[in-house]
Amino acid sequence: MTSFKTLMQREWLQHRFGWALLAGVPLAIILPLLTVGQVDFGEDTAVHMADSMPLFITAASLVVTVTVLVGILWSASLIQISGLARRDHADRSNEFWLSLPTGDAPSLAAPLLVHLVLVPLAALGAGLAGGLLVSLVLVTRVTGLTSWFTLPWGTLLTAALAGAARLAVGIPLAMLWLLPLVMLTVLAGAWFKRWAVPVLAVALGLVGLLFERLLGLPLVDAWIGRLFEMAGRALLATGGHGLTVEGQSDLLRSLQAAPGWAAADVLRALAELAQPVFGFGLLVSAACFATLMWWRRRA
Amino acid sequence: MSEYLVEAQGLSVRYGSKAAVDDVSFTIPKGRVVGLLGHNGAGKTTLMRALVGLAKAEGRLSVLGLSPRAQRQQLLTSVCYIPDVAILPRWAKVGDLITLMSGLHPKFSAERARALLRRTSVGLNDKVKTLSKGMVVQAHLALVAAIDARLMVLDEPTLGLDVLSRKAFYEMLIDEWCDGQRSVLISTHQVEEVEALLSDVLMLNDGKLVLSTSLEDMDRRFVALSHDPAVAEQMAAAHPLLRYRVQGGSAALFDGAPPDSVLALGQRVRPSLVDLFVALTRKPELDRTQF
Repeated sequence: MTSFKTLMQREWLQHRFGWALLAGVPLAIILPLLTVGQVDFGEDTAVHMADSMPLFITAASLVVTVTVLVGILWSASLIQISGLARRDHADRSNEFWLSLPTGDAPSLAAPLLVHLVLVPLAALGAGLAGGLLVSLVLVTRVTGLTSWFTLPWGTLLTAALAGAARLAVGIPLAMLWLLPLVMLTVLAGAWFKRWAVPVLAVALGLVGLLFERLLGLPLVDAWIGRLFEMAGRALLATGGHGLTVEGQSDLLRSLQAAPGWAAADVLRALAELAQPVFGFGLLVSAACFATLMWWRRRA
Repeated sequence: MSEYLVEAQGLSVRYGSKAAVDDVSFTIPKGRVVGLLGHNGAGKTTLMRALVGLAKAEGRLSVLGLSPRAQRQQLLTSVCYIPDVAILPRWAKVGDLITLMSGLHPKFSAERARALLRRTSVGLNDKVKTLSKGMVVQAHLALVAAIDARLMVLDEPTLGLDVLSRKAFYEMLIDEWCDGQRSVLISTHQVEEVEALLSDVLMLNDGKLVLSTSLEDMDRRFVALSHDPAVAEQMAAAHPLLRYRVQGGSAALFDGAPPDSVLALGQRVRPSLVDLFVALTRKPELDRTQF
């Protein structure tokens, strides 16, 4: 367990600066822009939203900031992890890591866990904190600082935490759905290095074509499409059951309903795991992991 | 438990059809400093990788009583290995590496590593990528010497270093690690520099072990006769392993006692490890007896 935690710590030590940069730069750009730039929602919107404007701005700031930061850091992590098999080969430090008494399984599992799950979760936390800062600046610019402090914080924070908790479950679930594709990419990277993605795309295309010719079924296309669809559903708003806001005046009521919606959405996402395509994906992932262990051992 | 830390019997490592290590047998007892000598491509690195379980080997191989391939993780708790120069991760600070090794190696002492690093010019906050080659090697040795291991395997650890760095490296190795119980297997091209440190020598030539002996036995077994160039023909007729120049004349190296007919023609001198290395691993096309 100590060595697994240390292997995760290695990711932190190696990538902390990059992560801080990816999370900090968007905020460092947007906050000064919002502070000194012109903020205009249009006269109609201002009139129409009336009293709920600060609440709308705050909720929107949280959603947008979380989306941006999770999107950026998750994408960066996926790119980073695709080179997992060969990542220490460039500076030949793979020999150093191989000279330590750590197992192949934890050496591979720790970075996967960190990059695919923990980094997006940390981005979620950073997004919430950043979103609050963005909302403070925006609300101050549009309606004044006082209105930010007089927001219905109890409802707002409960809703934000409920949404964050939904995403905190959704991120690992989405990752589990996409894991076979991620692992296939990592595995391809072991042999084809930077050509992993194109080679994998061509290989999957050819296999798909073969199935289509032989069986008349676009099995590979359907499988990949299904994985992406299910990952999206697992991430948020499973089966199109999103949190609906009927009108601006309804915003507060919708936020009050957020915890209940989040709990129900999580249950729907978990229930959707019980299908053969998910099990098949896990099998493919496990096979890729085992092959990577073999590759690492013989490297 | 066996008195040997390493026991190899009929050991071969193949890359496709080529045998990088070909049917070698040797043992390494505890408390020895063993030099592994061989030309480039002789199979030294492959043999060392096999010893730490990184290369698949045929034959019988036991390191600390363990099978390196099947029990690699367990083995590496008691064997430390420096594969080559400058392989520490370039992104890390030296202090980070101490933190990581503390968590990854059960026999690593962070306190000892810091104490060893104080002997060098490497700081804990230095990033590996900012260090010179010599400093990286010093840092690496300080890290592995802080492991309470029984065997250290060093593959060309001082390759590319200047003489001062090499000297500092060997001083730290002997002062801080060798205690009469632990053994070191070290491969190097700087044969003259390590000769004084070694207790035993293994020589590989094209994957085959051409010599496995202690330096005491080597001195007893191999005889060099320094002689006048005028008697060169008679010396050559006695079929020495090697004829070479020494200061003020020539010398002939024999495996075993020279024939009586030539003993009186020269004066017995101690053959150097380099001369023996040349004698046992030379290529016929580079035969130095033809001078």
